[in-house]
Amino acid sequence: MLDSFIADHAINLQRAEEAMAIDSLEFARRLVDINIPRGEIVKYTTAMTPAKVVEVVGNLTVLEMMMAVNKMRSRRIPSNQCHVTNVKDHPVQIAADAAEAAVRGFDEMETTVGITRYAPFNALALMVGSQVGRPGILTQCAIEEATELILGMRGLTAYAETVSVYGTEQVFIDGDDTPWSKSFLASAYASRGLKMRFTSGTGSEVQMGYAEGKSMLYLEARCLYVTKGAGSQGTQNGSVSCVGVPAGVPGGIRAILAENLIGMMLDLECASSNDQTFTHSDLRRVARSLMQMVPGTDFICSGYSATPNYDNMFAGSNWDADDYDDWNVIQRDLRIDAGLRPVTEDVVVKVRNKAAKVIQAIFEELGLPAVTDQEVEAATYAHGSKDMPNRNVVEDLKAAEEMMARGVTGLDVVKALYKRGFEDVAGSVFSLLKQRVAGDYLHTSAILDKDFKVISSVNDPNDYRGPQTGYVISDARWEEIRNIPNAVNPEDF
Amino acid sequence: MNQQQLIEQMVREIMASMGTVDKASEVKSASTNTVSKSDYPLGEKRPELLKTPTGKSINEITLDKVIDGRVTAADVRISPETLELQAQVAESVGRDSFARNLRRAAELIAVPDERILEIYNALRPYRSSKSELLDIAAELENKYSAKINAAFVREAAEVYGIRNRLRQE
Repeated sequence: MLDSFIADHAINLQRAEEAMAIDSLEFARRLVDINIPRGEIVKYTTAMTPAKVVEVVGNLTVLEMMMAVNKMRSRRIPSNQCHVTNVKDHPVQIAADAAEAAVRGFDEMETTVGITRYAPFNALALMVGSQVGRPGILTQCAIEEATELILGMRGLTAYAETVSVYGTEQVFIDGDDTPWSKSFLASAYASRGLKMRFTSGTGSEVQMGYAEGKSMLYLEARCLYVTKGAGSQGTQNGSVSCVGVPAGVPGGIRAILAENLIGMMLDLECASSNDQTFTHSDLRRVARSLMQMVPGTDFICSGYSATPNYDNMFAGSNWDADDYDDWNVIQRDLRIDAGLRPVTEDVVVKVRNKAAKVIQAIFEELGLPAVTDQEVEAATYAHGSKDMPNRNVVEDLKAAEEMMARGVTGLDVVKALYKRGFEDVAGSVFSLLKQRVAGDYLHTSAILDKDFKVISSVNDPNDYRGPQTGYVISDARWEEIRNIPNAVNPEDF
Repeated sequence: MNQQQLIEQMVREIMASMGTVDKASEVKSASTNTVSKSDYPLGEKRPELLKTPTGKSINEITLDKVIDGRVTAADVRISPETLELQAQVAESVGRDSFARNLRRAAELIAVPDERILEIYNALRPYRSSKSELLDIAAELENKYSAKINAAFVREAAEVYGIRNRLRQE
């Protein structure tokens, strides 16, 4: 099933013979040759078989793979994505955490649920809270495929990511899909003007029991060709939530970098994991992340936890809110752009408070269970859900269900915000919804800036050709990175 | 339309009616495309080309009009014509499979949300018999003029049959 799909839909047959005839070691050397541009590589990688592409990357060391990622990443400017969740599914905390994460520099945010039926509230709180922090953030809610699509259709999310594919037929079927159902889903999203990427990763087939004795990286390469063939603009990969499997075998972290690289070689947007936690060793978790932080990817983390670890409902992330300062200092130490920026406490408190108030107003306007002033106050200063009052869960779930039943859309949210005097946030949510009319952000590696201008690999393609080309940190961005608030001036001594 | 184009179109229509459309003639040459990467982002550079499925220009989609009710959720959607333009942009940067996805998507705009979800579920493993999948293909083709999707569902029906992924009666 997978082989016929890949042969019919993913491989460019016009160049296949030529691509397959190239010596794999010779091609591996092209990947790290600064004189050969990205486009020349993609021409052939999209005409190879999965086995061939694995043979090619098998010739590279991690250092060479990082050089290749630097060249092969689709969008010129790197970026980062975070998770915003909590154990209580507390919508006010989600909004406040999202607003703070936006100020800290994430361009995309993902939520999920503790209790499935909370999904509409989580999606709503994330979308609105993020826009309070920085207009133009893209948000998603990871849940079962069909429900996720409904939230998108209703205008409560801006994109989808958890469209999973697998590298053996049996696991694909156990995942309750086929390449055809997943391709149809990809088109369904685009038909509603919604950005979408697939997800896969090494170890999933092992974990689900049908690896068929094949190498994990080969099976992941098959996933990426299915992703390509289905017409998805991108992938979230890098083992992701199966990271414990490759991380436990020799060379496993190298394989994770290799799978990111193969995604990029197939001209896909790559949200490169650094997601689920895999070790208690701080040294190992940093070493694992440097593989993507240093060269930069479209989204270095596809889930940096914007909450403390105990609130991460994706089973914990390799990075969380308590690591923000370290991440910023690593950027500063190495002079790299890993997507985040230092913040000041007063700015954070201000946006958290506003996001909480905005959710309070929306809940009242939409007739949802009241948000108290006490909840607003708690969310403004909360470190995590342990600092938040409990909500009436039964009442919330009933209201969330009823909200979907009466067909509340993103435009209703816009109107509610406007009516309650939050014209700026109303304008941002409206501009986000308007993106789906033009469809520019459907393209590979698209993000939005604060003015809702699309930055994707179509208008900002990676043109790396050696030192001082491709993405170079601007003076303004370097000022931002280097000015950590805890730096001490020599004059102050 | 000049005479040359008229003849080409007639030939294409005749070929299509015979069910033997030459693949090469289906692939649009660069010269017949309206837009390419230099027109991107279309929302900024070519807003005059963008219309909603309800026939409104993208510039008419404003916050004020949402507030006073002149723009509704039905207006804040992508149109088949816009997706075709985005497919052309994708082709201009060599992303053919992504462009094919956008063209399948353009056909699906006409299919209601509920039916989209039902068809997706029907395409999942062991959900449908072969004839049920073929009925869906016929519905897509006849009711929604979704020819590419119809062919895609027929292809799925064929593969599911070979691999025993149809619903077991």
